[in-house]
Amino acid sequence: MKKAKREVRTGEWSARWADFKYTIFLLRKNPLVMLGSILSIFFIILALTANYIVDPNLAGPRGYPDNSYPFERRYQWSANSPINWGPGVSLYRGPDVLFLGTDGWGRDMLKMIILSIPVDIENAVIIVLAAASFGTLLGALAGYVGGVLDEAVLRVTDIFFAFPGLVLALVFAALLGRSIPTLRLAILLVWWPPYVRLMRGQILGEKEKAYVEALRALGAGHLRILFRHIIPNAIYPILVQATLDFGGVILTFSALMFLGFSPTPSLPELGNLAADGYQHIFEAPWLIVFPGLTMLIIALAFNLVGDGLRDVLDPRLRR
Amino acid sequence: MKLYEYIIRRLILMIFVLFGISVLVFYLARGFPSAMDPVAPYITSRMTSEQIAEVRRIHGFDRPLYEQYVFWLRDVFRGDWGLTGIWAQGRPVLEVFFLSFPYTVQLSIAATILTVGIGLPLGIISAVRNNKIPDHISRIIALTGYSTPSYWFGFILQLVFFYYFTLWGLPHLPSTGASGMEGAVARVTGMPVLDGIIGGNIAYTVDALAHLVLPAFSLSFISLGFLARIVRASMLDVLRQDYIILARSKGLKERVVIYRHALKNGLIPAVTLTGLFFAGLLGGAIITEFVFALPGVGQLSIQAVMQGDSNFILLYTLVLATIIVTANLIVDIAYVFLDPRIKY
Repeated sequence: MKKAKREVRTGEWSARWADFKYTIFLLRKNPLVMLGSILSIFFIILALTANYIVDPNLAGPRGYPDNSYPFERRYQWSANSPINWGPGVSLYRGPDVLFLGTDGWGRDMLKMIILSIPVDIENAVIIVLAAASFGTLLGALAGYVGGVLDEAVLRVTDIFFAFPGLVLALVFAALLGRSIPTLRLAILLVWWPPYVRLMRGQILGEKEKAYVEALRALGAGHLRILFRHIIPNAIYPILVQATLDFGGVILTFSALMFLGFSPTPSLPELGNLAADGYQHIFEAPWLIVFPGLTMLIIALAFNLVGDGLRDVLDPRLRR
Repeated sequence: MKLYEYIIRRLILMIFVLFGISVLVFYLARGFPSAMDPVAPYITSRMTSEQIAEVRRIHGFDRPLYEQYVFWLRDVFRGDWGLTGIWAQGRPVLEVFFLSFPYTVQLSIAATILTVGIGLPLGIISAVRNNKIPDHISRIIALTGYSTPSYWFGFILQLVFFYYFTLWGLPHLPSTGASGMEGAVARVTGMPVLDGIIGGNIAYTVDALAHLVLPAFSLSFISLGFLARIVRASMLDVLRQDYIILARSKGLKERVVIYRHALKNGLIPAVTLTGLFFAGLLGGAIITEFVFALPGVGQLSIQAVMQGDSNFILLYTLVLATIIVTANLIVDIAYVFLDPRIKY
């Protein structure tokens, strides 16, 4: 008896594994997806190692450890200035060439961008994971149980769908206070409803299928049917949505930072770095060009992967 | 279910949604300690603390929040949305809002036109040349569109088309503001382009259009990517249908198959989604208006949020929510007329 059970299980897992390998095979045929994957992996590795590549103390309020930077000269851009702050120029008393120039605080822009990547990626991972798991769970319950619960959940998501997302996040952020956890909460609060709708739709399709009926006839409990069988079958669109949301969350988070919700003005975060530069856009364009470009590349990398995944996992487009 | 029954059901749901939003925003905007004291706009420097307490009592600001909500609702049904904070000189919220709202509408209309004008062809090309070079290029443009930080893109556009074009002596576009000829024509609609046409002032209209190009493009850049992907998906779906195979097999030219047969069904989602894009762009205009220093409601809403001005935030979110919900309803009804297969 026990042996037979194990055989069934290995059969199921090997089928899932074969499916996974076929998905990877399809993904590898698309050059853009490959590019996106390589870039995404690069940024994830960079996020994990950034604090070892660049000394995080450099982002502190006094910039360079020996105070060799003329901090009081911050924001005094002029063509006649003895110091050129632009990219690729070495500062006086500073030993290293600044490939991307300095940021608004006179710190090395390249180092600050490297230091800000873990902040942004960590936030995006936390927010997307939290939103996707909460939304999926709620959507799955609403779809499976149905009735009053379904109706109530749908009406609540209706309210959130009718909001302009950024406005709601702004209101939450302004009222909850300026710290990274509250900003995460603010974005999370506007990000979960699409997952509810997505998962609910999936569940409604799945729960009418014959295998669910078969499971019920075999005496499987509701929790087992839902978590062990229905959700794994309905999870692909959620994965695609989460990958695609990754870039969107990074952009929204940095937009809030840009609009002035940074907990400290010197925090190395891409939106915050760009915010330092927007008043000096014509005198010192590199202040905003490079942080924004980094953000664009990160978001693009994850969106390329998500877009490719959507094509490959869509059963109608899958060949 | 008949169509009118469906519409009535949706309208009732809409009232529920608006009520939910007003409760949520009211509790958020009034309940937190960092929110602005709603009594602030009524106070002048000469008032004594007893007078202030009297004002507070008259408007019900000393009561618990749920009673304050009932007071607020009662005033709203009488047409009084309250006063703004010091940041807008304590003027009535309605006046402040509807002076700026037409500008945001104009910006969103322009951005919607650009979204459809660029996104639609991109999506069609992408579907017709599926997995070929044009598809890849269109995919890159679309994905870059929704990977771009909108505030950053606005500044880059200003940098290139205003600053560098001026440096190089090329004809350049203006960087910020809604118009360079303020007050040249009478304000009728509040939309500079329309006012210029109504006032018969061609120079003013052209100037207003020039001021509109960069913000509208910056705003539409995100949504045109979305539209292109949606059009691609729905066109691919249609191109796989039997009637397209039949059209091909009876020897019709590929051009005729695509433009006469496939496009009609493939564009239904795109056409209906245009309404949603317009509604979404109204909300998305916040950052564009901030970047281009435009006199719209998005710009004001940032100030209101920063000051914790609950009256303005409530009006802003409710107006936008009404537009979004109405657009949703119109989209669903439009489906029935565009696609006879769908029934309610």
